[in-house]
Amino acid sequence: MATLRFHSLIGNLGSIPALSSCSNPRMSASFHCNSKGEKRVSRMTVKAMGAAKYKGTQMREKQLAEMIEKKVTEAKEVCEGDETSDECKVAWDEVEEISQAKADLRLRLEIEKKDPLEFFCQENPETEECRVYED
Amino acid sequence: MAVCTIYTTQSLKSTCSISTPTKTHLGFHQKQVVFYSTGKRTSKRGSSSSCGPCVITCSAGDSQTVVIGLAADSGCGKSTFMRRLTSVFGGAAEPPKGGNPDSNTLISDMTTVICLDDYHSLDRTGRKEKGVTALDPKANNFDLMYEQVKALKSGVAVDKPIYNHVTGLLDPPELIKPPKILVIEGLHPMFDERVRDLLDFSIYLDISNEVKFAWKIQRDMAERGHSLESIKASIEARKPDFDAFIDPQKQYADAVIEVLPTQLIPGDNEGRVLRVRLIMKEGVKHFSPVYLFDEGSTISWIPCGRKLTCSYPGIKFHYGPDTYFGNEVSILEMDGQFDRLDELIYVESHLSNISAKFYGEVTQQMLKHADFPGSNNGTGLFQTIVGLKIRDLYEQITASKTAAPLEATKA
Repeated sequence: MATLRFHSLIGNLGSIPALSSCSNPRMSASFHCNSKGEKRVSRMTVKAMGAAKYKGTQMREKQLAEMIEKKVTEAKEVCEGDETSDECKVAWDEVEEISQAKADLRLRLEIEKKDPLEFFCQENPETEECRVYED
Repeated sequence: MAVCTIYTTQSLKSTCSISTPTKTHLGFHQKQVVFYSTGKRTSKRGSSSSCGPCVITCSAGDSQTVVIGLAADSGCGKSTFMRRLTSVFGGAAEPPKGGNPDSNTLISDMTTVICLDDYHSLDRTGRKEKGVTALDPKANNFDLMYEQVKALKSGVAVDKPIYNHVTGLLDPPELIKPPKILVIEGLHPMFDERVRDLLDFSIYLDISNEVKFAWKIQRDMAERGHSLESIKASIEARKPDFDAFIDPQKQYADAVIEVLPTQLIPGDNEGRVLRVRLIMKEGVKHFSPVYLFDEGSTISWIPCGRKLTCSYPGIKFHYGPDTYFGNEVSILEMDGQFDRLDELIYVESHLSNISAKFYGEVTQQMLKHADFPGSNNGTGLFQTIVGLKIRDLYEQITASKTAAPLEATKA
């Protein structure tokens, strides 16, 4: 997952301006930039840049990423019949929930630089999830 | 039975508890201090005691926890607003140590932030079965929410459930001790009338659809599986429930922070530059709205000019009285961005009633978190100011209880 930084201000909110991601080789790898300079998200896997320290957290990140993909596919299928059905809105609500959970984890790792398992792993360093993740 | 009564002034810095076990041998979740004294003893503050072990209870009913409600659709407890707020009071807010790593709760010295998703009555499977989203009141246990917020407000600790956002299950509860300031954050802090009545102050974060879309693009675009279409579809699918259940809460809020696309750049809907409006209810106890230059008048202000040079698109302020859902309000609005420190301090020096403790406090707080989203626009500015107003509100409430009798009873 590419770290997104806009202009010179870190964490500036807003959508991705058309030009900067397409001229930036690091970001254009994750976006197909077509002739109009518009972006589409590539299906290519981008290497995680989060500061996941423990294996458990790294697995969690992976799990959430997979869940997002799965839930989006599910939602599209469910909504094919009736977009206004209860099942459809519940399916997209789940997508939202998982997307937010992944974003929260990423925020914690990248901005706060704290692994959620930190305290647990100090007490239980020998567990499988507390193996320090080696890149 | 000897009764020791000690009078104390509660201020921001002092703590009521001295050393407190959370659960005593009596089994109550109460703040208790045990004094062992031999013979008669005269304290300079109070009457003398001839008791053996004296148990002094920080009486729950007198020292109330201040409760703040924050309605937001952007996850809980980890939001930028919460971070700014807890930072105003000092200390970083952390999840409870040694507990469930998936806890949504944040605790700092002064504040505890509870995520209202913890009061889901239906877990993810349950919601799927019943066909309800998390936005639907049917998925939430308002009775439990009311009981526990009420208990915390009156100084009693509670065992609060944990909703695990990753697994979608309800995990075993965690102990929450009553803090000085309790913040309840989530989708429905003002939905239930009983809970609403417990709030000393409430805020609603109102993000317009265009801005929400832009923010969610930034959040999700790099995720495998997401595309502009899926992000849009997700927002659209949730909109009916959002409009029906969440949006109406804004009429009850004491302060609404409305985030809209800028009007400074014609045709701009990318959500890069933001127009932010701080809508403040008049007549709220312990809360005096922020104003520009002349309270109650209508002002349009562009700070950029001879004294201050700003880069494109500049900054524009507006202030004036208005009505909002039938309530008298004052609205302070900022459109544009701060590019430099001196712009920020210049603006701060012209705002009134911001409840800062020293000149430049708002700027200092903003700089402290320059990496947070919104640090260069009205969202960061108004969130920080609201944080200072809440501090002011807290101090006013606690100062009005200058005599908080602590009763000591023989153990």
